[in-house]
Amino acid sequence: MAMILEGPLYVMASIQDSVGNTWDHYGALQEVWVENQMLKQEIQRLQGAQNQLREDAILATEFQKLSMYQATAPMTTMPARIIGRNVSNWYQAIVIDKGANDNIHAEMGVVTNAGVVGRIVRVNQTTSIVLLLSDPNVAITGMIQTSRDEGIIQGTPQGSIRMKYLPPLSPVQVGDVVVTSGLTDDFPRGLYIGHIQQVTKAATDLFQSGEVTPIVDFSKLEGVLVITAFQPAIADESLSSSASLPASEAAP
Amino acid sequence: MIIAGYLILCIGTVVAQATLSTMLSVNDIYPDLCLVLVCIIGFLTNEYKGLMIGLTMGLFQDLLAPGGIGLNMILKGLAGFLAGATTHTISAVTPSVVVLITLALSLGCGLASLIVAYPALIGPEAFHAIVGTLLPQSLYHSVLAAGIFWIARKTRKAFGMVHSRQGHR
Repeated sequence: MAMILEGPLYVMASIQDSVGNTWDHYGALQEVWVENQMLKQEIQRLQGAQNQLREDAILATEFQKLSMYQATAPMTTMPARIIGRNVSNWYQAIVIDKGANDNIHAEMGVVTNAGVVGRIVRVNQTTSIVLLLSDPNVAITGMIQTSRDEGIIQGTPQGSIRMKYLPPLSPVQVGDVVVTSGLTDDFPRGLYIGHIQQVTKAATDLFQSGEVTPIVDFSKLEGVLVITAFQPAIADESLSSSASLPASEAAP
Repeated sequence: MIIAGYLILCIGTVVAQATLSTMLSVNDIYPDLCLVLVCIIGFLTNEYKGLMIGLTMGLFQDLLAPGGIGLNMILKGLAGFLAGATTHTISAVTPSVVVLITLALSLGCGLASLIVAYPALIGPEAFHAIVGTLLPQSLYHSVLAAGIFWIARKTRKAFGMVHSRQGHR
């Protein structure tokens, strides 16, 4: 009698096993699927975090360079982060995260470790607007480093930079380095502006002028230094000359 | 609530203009998102809303611009007002109408900005500024405005919102 039941029992047991296995595997797959989704989300989160860390590292390197320059530069500067860029086609400008609350004033010069960036034109409470050197509304005094010939550095509407009013007999050549002359009260002498790319002088012109390739890539700026104080070049010279004089003559 | 919405739109657009304009630039031509938005709001609503939003957006834009406060405010306000007023004189505002009106408004605003920014600009440099920057910028604005206007109108229709101008007629 038992033999009669054995067959169906085996069949039933094997069906139960297979159904159980299928169910278990399905359940396991479900868990794997859920786990897979969670892992995918985790990977995305970690990729985001990694990207953020990489970005922070790049920014830190950038600011470290600025910080090193700040420590050695012959002027007092304040680091600032760029939080916005030109809001129209008519001005070449950036917005920095330092303003009147940080004792920033209009007309202060702005530089990077590479060279001159521009000048502050408007100060809000916590932000300031910096006109870049490539804007026609900015003009600073510059000089050719080798010949010491001075001129005016000014932007053009096309976004390039020109050095105007170079003496007619100046031996300016393509490739000459242009630095600040320090005659205006926003930049000290000797800051790198760029190099001469092209020299032009029409027959009717009184002065020579040159196209200047800026050393700073204005489109890739992330941090800058605002020049808050420096010793003007003229004062430097008078100090050095007075130092060489006898004390009685040097005294006012 | 609506005023708060418009304020958020104004602030958001100016912030987007200051941070994303480099991404939206085509061949070094930056779009003036504020002008485009002001024109569209003028087209979709009326001249008074266009004027108010234009003035507000222009004021916010002036706060981040190197020029003095007032220029963008006046120009954007005027552009919004004129865009809104146009809907009274034209029977149906279509994307092609938006293209033409935005082009005209953008040229006017751009020319005024150019004169204020560079009052001494003459000769080849002025020609270059007009042909190389002002015209492409205005064309870009008009195409952008038409595209956004078309999407906005489709969205309004999809949500069963009646165009205020058409509703009056």
